[in-house]
Order: sequence, then structure tokens, then C-alpha cells
Amino acid sequence: MPSLGLPIYGQKTALETRRWKSLDELEARTAAEPGEFPEGAAETPEGLSRRGFLQVLGASVALAGLQACKPPREKLVPYVRAPAAVTPSVPVAYATAASEEGYAVGLVVQAHEGRPVKIEGNRLHPASLGGSDAIRQALVLELYDPARLRGFTREGRALAWSALLQEIAALGREHDKDGGTRLRFLVAPTSSPTLGDLRRRVLERFPRARFDTWSATGEGAQRAGAAIAFGRPLDATYDVAKADVILSLDSDFLAVEGEHLRHAREFASRREGDRMNRLYVAEPRFSVTGGMADHRLRMRGLEVAAFARAVAAELAGAGLAGLGPLGAHGEGERVKVARAIAKDLAGARGRSLVLAGARQPPAVHALAAAMNEALGNVGTTVHWRAPVLLDPRAGADSLRELAGELAAGKIDTLVVTAWNALHTAPADLELRKAFGKVKNSMVLALREDETVRAASWRLAASHPLESWGDLRSRDGTVSIVQPLITPLYESATEIDLLAAFVGEGDRGAWRLVREGWRARSGAPPAPLPLAGAAAAANPVDTNRPRRPDPYDRTWDEWLAAGVLTESAGKPEQVAADLGAVGDALGKLPVPAGGIELGFAPDYKIWDGRLLENAWLQELPDPVTKLTWENAAHLSPATAKRLGLASGDLVELARGGRAVVAPVLIVPGHADDAVTVALGYGQQVAGPVGKGVGFDGYALRTSDAPWFAGGAELRKTGKRTDLAVTQGHFSMEGRAIALALDHEELGRAKAELDEHRGEAPTILEPVDYSDRTYKWGMAIDLSRCIGCGACTAACQAENNIPVVGKEQVLRSREMHWIRVDRYFEGPAEDPKSVTQPLACVHCEMAPCEYVCPVNATVHSDEGLNEMVYNRCVGTRYCSNNCPYKVRRFNFFDYHGDVAPTLQMLMNPDVTVRARGVMEKCTYCTQRIQRARIDARVGGKKIGPDEVVPACAQACPAEAITFGNLNDPRSRVSRKHGDARRYDLLHELGTRPRTAYLVKLRNPNPELA
Amino acid sequence: MSTAEKTIQDVRALDGPPVLVGRPDDRALTESLLSPVLGPTRKGWVLLLLALLGGVGFWTLSLVTTLFVGIGAWGNNIPVAWAFDITNFVWWIGIGHAGTLISAILLLFQQKWRTSINRFAEAMTLFAVAMAGVYPVIHLGRPWLFWWLIPYPSTNQIWPNFKSALPWDVFAISTYATVSLLFWYLGLIPDLATLRDAAKTRGRRIVYGIMCFGWRGSARHWRHYRIGYLLLAGLSTPLVVSVHTIVSFDFAISQLPGWHTTIFPPYFVAGAIFSGFAMVMTLMIPARRLLGYQQVVTERHLDNMAKVMLATGLMVFYGYLMEWFMAWYSGSPSEAFAFLNRAQGPYQPIFLMQMFCNVVAPQILWFPSMRRNEIVLFIVSILINVGMWAERFVIIAVSLHRDFIPSSWGMYYPTWVDWGLFLGSICMFGLLFLLFLRFLPAIPLFEVKELRSELEHHGPNVYPGSEEEG
Amino acid sequence: MSALFSPRSNGIFRLVIAIVLAGAAGTVGALMVFARIPAGTGQQQQVGQPVQFDHRHHVQDDLIDCRYCHTTVDKAASAGIPPTELCLNCHSQVWNKSPLLDLVRASWFSNRPIEWVRVHRVPDFVYFNHAIHVNKGVGCVECHGRVDLMPAIEQVAPLTMGWCLDCHRDPNPRLRPLEEITSMTWEPEGDRVALGKELAKKYDVKPRTSCYTCHR
Repeated sequence: MPSLGLPIYGQKTALETRRWKSLDELEARTAAEPGEFPEGAAETPEGLSRRGFLQVLGASVALAGLQACKPPREKLVPYVRAPAAVTPSVPVAYATAASEEGYAVGLVVQAHEGRPVKIEGNRLHPASLGGSDAIRQALVLELYDPARLRGFTREGRALAWSALLQEIAALGREHDKDGGTRLRFLVAPTSSPTLGDLRRRVLERFPRARFDTWSATGEGAQRAGAAIAFGRPLDATYDVAKADVILSLDSDFLAVEGEHLRHAREFASRREGDRMNRLYVAEPRFSVTGGMADHRLRMRGLEVAAFARAVAAELAGAGLAGLGPLGAHGEGERVKVARAIAKDLAGARGRSLVLAGARQPPAVHALAAAMNEALGNVGTTVHWRAPVLLDPRAGADSLRELAGELAAGKIDTLVVTAWNALHTAPADLELRKAFGKVKNSMVLALREDETVRAASWRLAASHPLESWGDLRSRDGTVSIVQPLITPLYESATEIDLLAAFVGEGDRGAWRLVREGWRARSGAPPAPLPLAGAAAAANPVDTNRPRRPDPYDRTWDEWLAAGVLTESAGKPEQVAADLGAVGDALGKLPVPAGGIELGFAPDYKIWDGRLLENAWLQELPDPVTKLTWENAAHLSPATAKRLGLASGDLVELARGGRAVVAPVLIVPGHADDAVTVALGYGQQVAGPVGKGVGFDGYALRTSDAPWFAGGAELRKTGKRTDLAVTQGHFSMEGRAIALALDHEELGRAKAELDEHRGEAPTILEPVDYSDRTYKWGMAIDLSRCIGCGACTAACQAENNIPVVGKEQVLRSREMHWIRVDRYFEGPAEDPKSVTQPLACVHCEMAPCEYVCPVNATVHSDEGLNEMVYNRCVGTRYCSNNCPYKVRRFNFFDYHGDVAPTLQMLMNPDVTVRARGVMEKCTYCTQRIQRARIDARVGGKKIGPDEVVPACAQACPAEAITFGNLNDPRSRVSRKHGDARRYDLLHELGTRPRTAYLVKLRNPNPELA
Repeated sequence: MSTAEKTIQDVRALDGPPVLVGRPDDRALTESLLSPVLGPTRKGWVLLLLALLGGVGFWTLSLVTTLFVGIGAWGNNIPVAWAFDITNFVWWIGIGHAGTLISAILLLFQQKWRTSINRFAEAMTLFAVAMAGVYPVIHLGRPWLFWWLIPYPSTNQIWPNFKSALPWDVFAISTYATVSLLFWYLGLIPDLATLRDAAKTRGRRIVYGIMCFGWRGSARHWRHYRIGYLLLAGLSTPLVVSVHTIVSFDFAISQLPGWHTTIFPPYFVAGAIFSGFAMVMTLMIPARRLLGYQQVVTERHLDNMAKVMLATGLMVFYGYLMEWFMAWYSGSPSEAFAFLNRAQGPYQPIFLMQMFCNVVAPQILWFPSMRRNEIVLFIVSILINVGMWAERFVIIAVSLHRDFIPSSWGMYYPTWVDWGLFLGSICMFGLLFLLFLRFLPAIPLFEVKELRSELEHHGPNVYPGSEEEG
Repeated sequence: MSALFSPRSNGIFRLVIAIVLAGAAGTVGALMVFARIPAGTGQQQQVGQPVQFDHRHHVQDDLIDCRYCHTTVDKAASAGIPPTELCLNCHSQVWNKSPLLDLVRASWFSNRPIEWVRVHRVPDFVYFNHAIHVNKGVGCVECHGRVDLMPAIEQVAPLTMGWCLDCHRDPNPRLRPLEEITSMTWEPEGDRVALGKELAKKYDVKPRTSCYTCHR
């Protein structure tokens, strides 16, 4: 009876998920109470859970009476009226955009039967170029989060949207009296033109009202720096691909800052071949960008300015006299380094790039701007444009003003759309206290948080994938934000809310956006609606019967492309006022003694808004591999001096404020400095984020938003277990993740040949050369920045469960592709290599011959196939896998997934039951789909047609996949590369995934 | 004293203690050897029974938890996907080997001293195999599908993978269990008949009557019995070698440093007999005292078993040396690391325990006086049991926790369920043994009688040592 | 002392042993048989549907092609269960008063889907794709049988993995010209295997048997 042992015993199955067809049923499902999440995280070995019981019960029943092992007959639920766009079992992709600090990141979202399931980058969008990152990948999980805020309430009274509109209208009439003197809006930075119009119209109605913009992680410093240097706030966009020499002044431009997805792609394109660029990074904490540096200079955050001036001084010496007044010679070892860097930069005028980090003060940005101008980089690698943000001066200042007014009780109504201001606001502003004084505090938020809890009006926000809207990228390119699904719960967008304040709340965001752009694009106004019979004749799915409208076509094209053609703005001509820059530099505070406390946006949960996202919580931090919390990062030396070890709980104090934090020792961290990732330790959190990490904001004040001296660490004597997925950062002298200096490559051929080519064997290897397809992968370590986008993408594509902190501590994480990070050299100041590692699909696979039931076997195309439904779970395959890339379902992780989260499941991938092994399949579902489509059309799959989730997500294009039997495929070329090697080649496993040696391009003068 | 007499005395001295003390007649033997079965229930026995029942409860709870919750209830993880489960399995299977060796091989070699201990050892084998048989099933992620390892024509036209050692295990263990059971039971039949005749109540007579398959002790019965017994002995002899060889293949055919070793088969078999004899010793020494078997289980037996332990212990030690030598000689860094990690890694204490118990402790058995000292033997045998368990843990878990790619290294910590399945199985084993001692003749009555008559008729020439007490 | 056992007991005893052994063997055998007979595979079970839809009438009398209702059978993995809309294409005109169609009309006006009962079910881990089969010359009738003769749809094929493999290993006897793909009555002239060979070449039929073909 093959059907024994299917996941049928009281379990929900992928098929149930697939079966959702009508919105009614959807509502019915979502009405059901949300299930626990993350699945199995709360599962203790001791607990005999309901699902466990059902499973064993089912098993025994199945073994006893055979009829019992047959599930009841399923229902087939067709549409009543079939929507034109949807063919069951055929996914559809739509272009949209999501906001990052107010700027657009273009996305392409794939939907199955109307359920958004997978997010990719939009290759037509300048901020993505097709790449994405973990945060973008995980947005879709946020959509289905069962803990989302639902509906609208005022003082606990539930309100329908229409009722809410009336109450807002009444509120508006109140404020009409004094022109909105006592009305304030606290909003997040945004570039949305539609929101711009609405704000303008709101201010027209309430002239004395004000919009204050707040983001805890905004990049205001850069615009402020530009204001110093050029007299007006400007946004810089960088053409990293054109830069031969790059100096990053604490700028994490590959993973966090600016258009980092594009930066990563352009940067990576210069990490192979002969035109390799060279990257210098001066930074306090070990960042993703720092990991890619050819020369990484660790220094405390407040010392970066001094170092920048030292470089400027040397540049002046190297012929850029203009920078003289800005420079200030450093002392000690740094001088030599600064001189070498300056020489390198000066040698690459117009082909170099200096970036200042968002955490650095405006003066440093001004200096960087001046250096770029002096180096002739403006117009080549740097472009200055007028900011597309509606309010360039986002920062603590505007918030301080608001806090003052609130505290003074001058405000009656405060509308908050910025994320969780009470949590993120600088501690010294005491916003929590002031907030209580407002009569009407109206908060629009995606999930319940501290601010929502404190508000009198609680409004559920629609998820970006449920919303109409528009956004612009730094260069001005406009993207229309279009929904993929009707809102799961009653909720509103910021557009709807602001429209309500000008009496258009019932118009709907769709019309506002669409008609707004009709006006901006100068298209003719919409023809009048038809009436009667003619209306009935029109298709149902358009929103109202209309005469043919020429604008429809333009609109559809915009939506299809995800960008408005030719909407990018022109770069501006700039001339730096060196005097002003000099003054600003002069005013910089001198680094204080003692331990410097530095803050940073988290690589996973950003400013904390993604705390509830279990995918991101479980994703290992790109550098520290820490999951499910944040920690106080210390350098080994500092930790030694303070007598601290990783896992020690310390009281981290600064200026009378203190939190208890676990210590994490990070190689390469600056001495006498501690770095804290923001966003954790939120007072109000859902099932996922409850009690996760500690609150860095509690130590953060408006005078020192990023770096502050005089921090203290006091031992508490207690310890905690940090769920780190990689316990061992040394390669133990084994050849695993190989890295070479650029010019060594030629000489290293003989050495590399030991790690590739035919290995001696007594077994005749199978010859795949005559097959139509021979699938293979290549991972270029030189390109990989280690950001972890591949891991997140894989999790989204392959229905990989989240297991929770306890299980990660037991090293049972389920990620099919992990990114290993190895440190080389001294622990104080190491180099690092990152190595994505998934199943390498050995042609001579050790896992296959030990499986007793043939559950993992080889396909005729050389794939190592893992067949879940045949697996009985001996785990022998994992024991015999030298790469340890197989994952085992120790619990029934998918046992009772919340109904909404079932909608997230990818119907093309089996949801694995308890007790079966799983691993990377090279995204076989994509291969099979491509194969069937090609064969139905009588074609052959193209050389690079099949793209696995990891390769598609990778912003640096480090992963290539394709047909090795097709010499035209990119992967074949990669396999033939001089840098190619096989991992654990000596075992003779003949892996299909080849690695390419990481290249470094150090400055000979600094060797 | 004449030189001739002196030489005779010296020769006798060499022979060591007798295999049978005194010349008790049949009735005396029957009474003394059946007294534990026919006699009244002893308080001590009941108390011990209750204690063990407690342990069995723990064991059952652990089993149920495993089935309901899944393997997640254990400490196993990636990389350490096998730990206590397979360690216990190999340990129990190994222990089982003494029985077969004693009953089969020593029988074929006509080692008379085996007679009085063979059933004891066989019972031990049977129960050990029963315990071992549990783990291969429950260690599966989906134990209700265990039967997919058995070759049968299924509607999905898939067969087990005969390249894997696990399906071989299925055959090895099931065969071993069956043959051991038959062998043990066949040997029991004549004594069951004796019990039937000696039993007081009709109920007991009927039960034993059914159990002895209507044995009447006729010449035909005896003839068939002899043939059958010899045949089974012949059958099970290869099993002594084959079973643990196949078990060792589970590891030897893999490519994991510390598993991938050609010496495993002989080294595992030696280890199995080593631990098996240790277990017989552990059970025999107290049983002999409490049930008054000293007369038939003499110092001679202890001495011989001790010698076997010493010999196999040395073979095991040789196995260790070979592993270490190959680790160095192979020149493979990961291979060398695996063994250094055993000695220096986080599991060092377990490794040291293994070395002390399996290598150092048995050396005391070089001294004849020690070989006949119950206390010493009891302690040593217990140490060896512990040591052999440690050895299996070191081979399985410690090899797994750090292999080729450092980023995937991990640690294994057992949960209470792991402990329950390990300690509980020992209790279950003890419980079965306790019942065996109470309801079945632990000493093969008729064989001892036979032995005695042989001793009488052939006199000292055959078994000189047995004279002094005459 | 009295005899313990009567003379008959030997016979009884042997009988008991025989029964035990036979019982054990029998159970195993029975299970294996059960997995192969309709009771186990779910064949030959007429399944009641909420609406009494009669394929005989629609296919034979009205000569409606399968693809009129199962629109995506040659385009997508799922053949497509017709939406209520499609029923009403005709039944808004014909039988538009029939009580048999109450539910259909109710579905249309209440906008609630009709919940049909699934007859052909493969497990969740099996990814069957209609399009590739239909486009390579495997007719509907090969798996679904003479639907045109079924008052209520029943499962005619065992739908076991072995049954799938039989065809994937030797498709030729099951192939037919594409123009006859939905025909219930088509019979080849001459040797079907020979024809199958030609068609296989013509349609480039290359059935796969590696696991990922159906399991993902």
C-alpha cells in the first residue's frame, strides 16, 4: 500500500492549499483563528502534540484497517465566473514595487491561483536589475502573517471603512476651525507622487497642519552632506561598475545603503577578469561590504572622519591641491595606508569612487562629495540628483519639534503612518510620554506594535502586495505599485487614509493613482461611462463599464514593465563649496575615550519592522551567523580585556540608560567599540518576535544617532545560548573555500588542478555527454558577498519550514542552501570568504548507495533526486554526505500551519511530512515546468532558461545554473573557468556544482 | 612421593578446577537445579522484579514519546543523525554473540565446560537480540513504514536498495533471532518434560506439557533431538561471524572518517564476543550465588570465560591500534583529524573511558587468581560492558559530529528520551531474564546429568581435575 | 497419575501450529492482493455528484468535445473543471427550468462554487500534467476509460505507480493521432504498436521514468 505514510494523518496538505479558489472560501479560512508560528518552534521533545497524536493514531489505524488509510474523497471547487487572467496550475507574474526608506525597489511577484507566492527583483528596475535580497524575499511572508492587524477600531469600537470615513470627516470639520493648528501627521519617508499630491491637498485644507517625516534608519546624512557641499540637499547615485578604486568610509553599500542591489551587481561584475576593481573599507564592525574589501581598515566609527581627512590630505599631496584645506594628516600606521589609498585613488581619476556611510555625520559626506568632485568622479561614477523624497529632511530634528508640541499638549490629532515611532524614536525625546497627551492618536500599521497599542484609533494597513500606489527610485524612475490579491483583512493604504482627510476616502487608491498619472502623463481624461445594455456587454473584470480609453494601453504597459518609461530625472551640475565643507569638518566632535557604542540597522529585520518575520529571524546574520536575536558585538581583544566571552549577558549602559545584552565576539571588529543591531527587543510583539533580542533604541539619543562614546559593559554573571548556525569559522587548513590574490592565480594552476578534473576511481563513471540536458551549477566565490538572499529565496520557493530558536540551538535548521563564512588570518583583523553551499548533486553520490529504500537516486540527467514520499527516514544519507547539506524533518513542522500561511505554500513543491529527509533539488519544479512547456511547444530548453530560486535572487549573480551539455550556456563557461574547482574533489564525488576561487586585488604597496 | 605421582599431580594442577563439583545423583541434581523454578517465590526476586518494572515503564514512555513526537524527541541532529539509537543497537547485537558462540561453536568443538552455561548464554542472546531489534525500527523517521526495507513486489514497482547495508541488517537480525530462538527452545524441550513430571500442580503440568511438545524421552525422540541440535549448531555457527560483520558494514561501506575502515568486520566480531562474555559473566556471577549453582557452574567456567574475554579484548585492542595506524598511514587529513578529535575533542572523557574499560581493565585477567576471583571478574565484566558501549558511541556519534566541512560541525547532547531508551532497554532485558530464571531451568539439566555420567564412567583420564573432590 | 492429554491432543496441537503459520502468511498475501484489486485502488466505484451530470448524454447525444468543458487539458497541468459560467452557456437557454439544474443556477446567482466530488485522485506528492500527455498522443480514454458510457464518472485505471510506469516504459500501444485525442471510440486500422512507433517518432514521445518526473 504505497499510500501508507503519506502526510494524511490529520495533517493539512499542499493540495488543500492549492484548492483555494474562491474569495468566499478564502474569507472563511482566514476567519479561522491563526495557528501557532513558527511551526514546530514551540514543539518540545516532551510535548505530545495533537498532530503527533493524530499521526501515530493515523498510522496505527492505517496499519490495522486498510480502508482507513484512504483519505475521504476530496472536493473539486471550480470558479463560478472564471477570471480571465488565471489558469489553475499556471502561475502568473506581476510587476510591482516595494518601498525601502521611501525609495522604490522594483519587484516581480509570482502568483498561483491568485495567491502571491514568490517575489523576485525586476530586471528593468534600476534599484534591482533583477536581483533581490532576503528582506525583499520575505515580504510575502509578512502578507500572510496570521498576527496581522485587522480592521479599524476607535477607542476599542470596531468601525467599518465607511463608518471610519464619517468619523474622519467629523474630525476634519473639527480641525477646519483652526486650519489644522492642532493636527499633525507623522509619516515615513516616501517618494510617492500620489502621496505628494494628497499631502499638498491636505495642507491646502489644513494650512497650519504639518507632516513630519521620521525614519530611524534613514539616509538623511547624505542629503545633509550634499547641502553642506553644494548648498542644497541632493541624492547621489553611484555607477559602481565604472569604478576601478573604491574607498568606503563605513558605507555598507553592497548590502544596506543606497541602491545596494544594483551596487552589488555592478561591483561583482568587476571582481573577475583582468579589470578587477579594488575596494578599501574603513569601518568599525565587520560588515558584508567589509567582507569583500581588499583592504579592510577597522577603526571606531568616530575615527572614520579623521581617517577620511588623512586620505584627503594625502590626495592633496598627490596633486589634488584643492583638498588641502580639508585634509589633516593622521599619525602612525594609518598615514602609510592613507597615502597608499590616496595614490591609488589619484591614479584612477574619474574611475574612482569615495562613499560615506549613512551612519557617518554630514560633514564626512560633504568631504566624500568634495573628494569625488576633486577626483573628477562626478558624472562618471557619481551622479547628483534632486531628492525624489517628498521630505528630504527626515531625521530627529523634525521629530524633536513634534515631540515638543505633543508634550506641551498643543496637538489634538496625530496621524501616524511611520513605523512604530514609539519604539524607534530617540530615547531622549521621551515620545512615549508625549504621545499619551494626544486626544486622537490615529495609527496605521500592518501589525500590532507598541505605537498601535498606545493609539486611540488603530487602523490596519494593507500590505504592499495588497495595495495600489506609486514610488520612485533615486534616479527618479517611477514604478506603479499594484496589488496581487485583494486585502486579506479589512485594511487601508496610506493613500486611502490621506484621501479620507480630503473627503475622497471612498474613491479608492486605484482611481487616485491611476487618474493622478493620467493627469501627470497628459493623457486625455477618461471618457464618460456607458449606460444600460452596452454596460452589461462589457467584461465583468474591469472596474466599471467604459468606452475604450487610449490611456488604458499606456497604463497596462506601465504595469507590465513595472517602471514608467523615460521617467528618470537628469543629473544636476554641482560645484562643492570647499570652505563650507572645511567648516563642517572643523565642527566635528573629537572621538571620546572609553568604549564607543555604535548602532546599525539589522541585516534581517532592518529597523525592526520585520521582527515578526520568521524567515528573517531564522536567517543567519550574513556576518555572525546569529539567528533569532541580536547581540553586542565586540572584538576579541576588547572582550579579552573585559573578561567576556560570547554568550555572557552584560549590562550595556550609556548616559544613564542601560539594557541587558548578550555578548558576541566578532573577528575583525574595531577595538574599544561595541556594535548593536537595532529593532529587536520590542515591547509589543506577536508570537514570533516576543522576547526576541534586546532594544538598542533604548540607548540611542538624538544627539548621537549612530555612534556615541562612553559606553560601559558590566558583567551580570549570567549567560545565554546564542543560536549561531556556524560554530566554527576556521577551515582547519583544509581546502574548502579557496581565495587567491589576483596575480597569484596564474601560478596557482598546478595547485588548483589537484582540486578539479578526473579523480582516480575503480568505478567507471557514467557518461552524461550524450544526454540532451546535463544540469549543473557554478558558484563564483569572487562575486558572492554572503548576504544570504539565496537562503531566503530558497526558503520561499521550496516551502522550507521555520524551526525556531530551540531547534537551531540543536543544529536542526532546515535551510537547503547555507552561506558559510570562513575567516582567514589573525582573529583580530581577518580576511573572510563566504561560500554558499547546497546539495552539489554529486555524480557519484555517497548518499545514494546507502539509502535502503531507493529514496534518493540519480536521474538520467545527473540530478541527485530526493524522493520524499519514498523516504522512511533512516538518515543514513545525511551521515554519508560529506557536505552535510541534507536536512531532516525532526518534527512535523508543517503539521498545523495557519490557514493564511497555507496560501503561501508553493503548490509546485511537496510539503514534507515528519520523518523525511530533504535537500536542494536544483529547483527541479522549475526544470520540469520548463521541460513540459518546451516539449509541448516542440522546443528544447534554452541554455540559461532554467533559473533556480537562489540564482534568480542573487544580487551579485554569483550563482549560475544551466545545461552543461550546451557549450553556449553561462554555466558551461563557468565550469571551464581557470578559477574552477570542486569542493572535496579528493573524495571522487564528482559534484555538479563547481566553485570558482575568490579573487582579491590587494594594493602591492600595502602587501 | 614417586616422580610419576608427582608428574600426575602437576598435570592435574595444570587442568585447573573441575567442571562439576562432586558426583550428585540425578535426583539431587534435579532437585537442586529445578528448585528456583519449582520452589516458592522469593521476596528478593519480587522486589527486583518491581524495580525492573519501573525501569520498563520509563522505557515504554520513551518509546511512546518517540513514536508520537518524532525523532526530534531525541538529541539527534545534522550532523549527528545517528547517536544513542544505533549505539544501543550495535551494543545489544554484540552482546548477543556470546550465546551463539558458546552453544554452537563450543558444542562443535566438544568443549564440555559449555554444558552448564550454554542455556544461560542462549537466553541472554535471545533477550539481547530482542532489545537490539527495537532500535532499527524506532530510529526511522517514519517507523510505520519499516516494511519498505523488506523486498516484496509492490504496486509501485520499487525494491529496496541492496547496495545499502541496512536491508542486509534486516536479514541478518531476523535470521539471527529466529535461529537463536529455535536453538534455545530445542535445548529446552527435554528439561521442560522433566519440569512437567516434577511439577506439583496439574495446571503447571499442562503448561509445561504443551511447551515440551509431548516429549517422552524415547530413543527416537533423543535421536531426532541430537540431529536437530547439531544441525542448528551448524547453522548458527556462521551467524556468529556474519551478523556482526554485516552490522559493521553499516559503517565500513560509508566514506565517513572513522567509519570507512576495512578492519571493522573482524574487529566488530571480536568486540561482540568480548562484550557478550562480559554480559554472561555479569549475569552468571550473582545468579550462581543466589540460585546455588556453584556446584555446576564452577571456577573452571569463570576461568575459561575470563580467558576468552582476555583474548577477544586483545583482538579489540589490536583493532584500535590498526585504526590509529591507518589514520596516520592514509595521509588523509580529515581521517587523521577524526581520530585526534576522538582523543582531544569535546568527547574526550568518553574516549578515555573506552580505553580504560576495554584495554586496561581486562589485563588483570592475565593472573589466574584474578580469573577465579568472583568480585574482580564481576567488576571487570561490568567495566567491559560500559567500555564497549562507549566504543560504539565514539565510533558513531563522535565520528559524525566533526567531519569534512568545519562549518557544519555540531554537538550531540542526549535528551531524557535517549536515556530512557538506553537504560530502559537494560531494565527490560533484566526483566526478561528474571522471568526466565523463575519459570525455566537456567541450567540444562539433562546435559549436566549426561556430563556427570561421562565423568563417572570415563573417570579421571578424561577429566583428571575432577578427582580430588571424589 | 492420570494422563495429562487425551490422544486427540496431538492432532489439535499440530492443527494449531498449522493455523498460526498459515494465518501469518495469509495476512501478508491478503494485503498484497488488496493493494491490487478495485477495493484497494478505488476503481469501479460510482461516485455521486451534487449535480446529476451525465457524461453519456453530453458526450454521446450532444457530441460535445471534452475540451469544451475541460478547457485547459492541452495547455496546463490541470484539465480544468468548468466554472458555473460555462454550464450556463447552454443551460441559460436549454433546460433552464429543469429542477436538476437548480444547484447550478443557485451557484451562479449566489456566486458560490459547486463543490464536485473528486474521482481521480493522485497523492499530493504526484505532479501529473495533462498537457504533456494530451500533446504527445495519449488520449483521454487511455486513463479515464469510456467516459461516454458512464452515467456517473468512475475510476477505471488503478492509478498505482506501477500502472503509470507500465506506460512510461512502453508508451507505443497507448498512442493515437492528435486529431483523435478526445475520441472515445477511435480504433486504429492495423497494428497499433506499429502505428504507435510512428506516432512516437512523429510527436517526439520520450516518456521519462526518473523520480522527479512526477515527484517534486
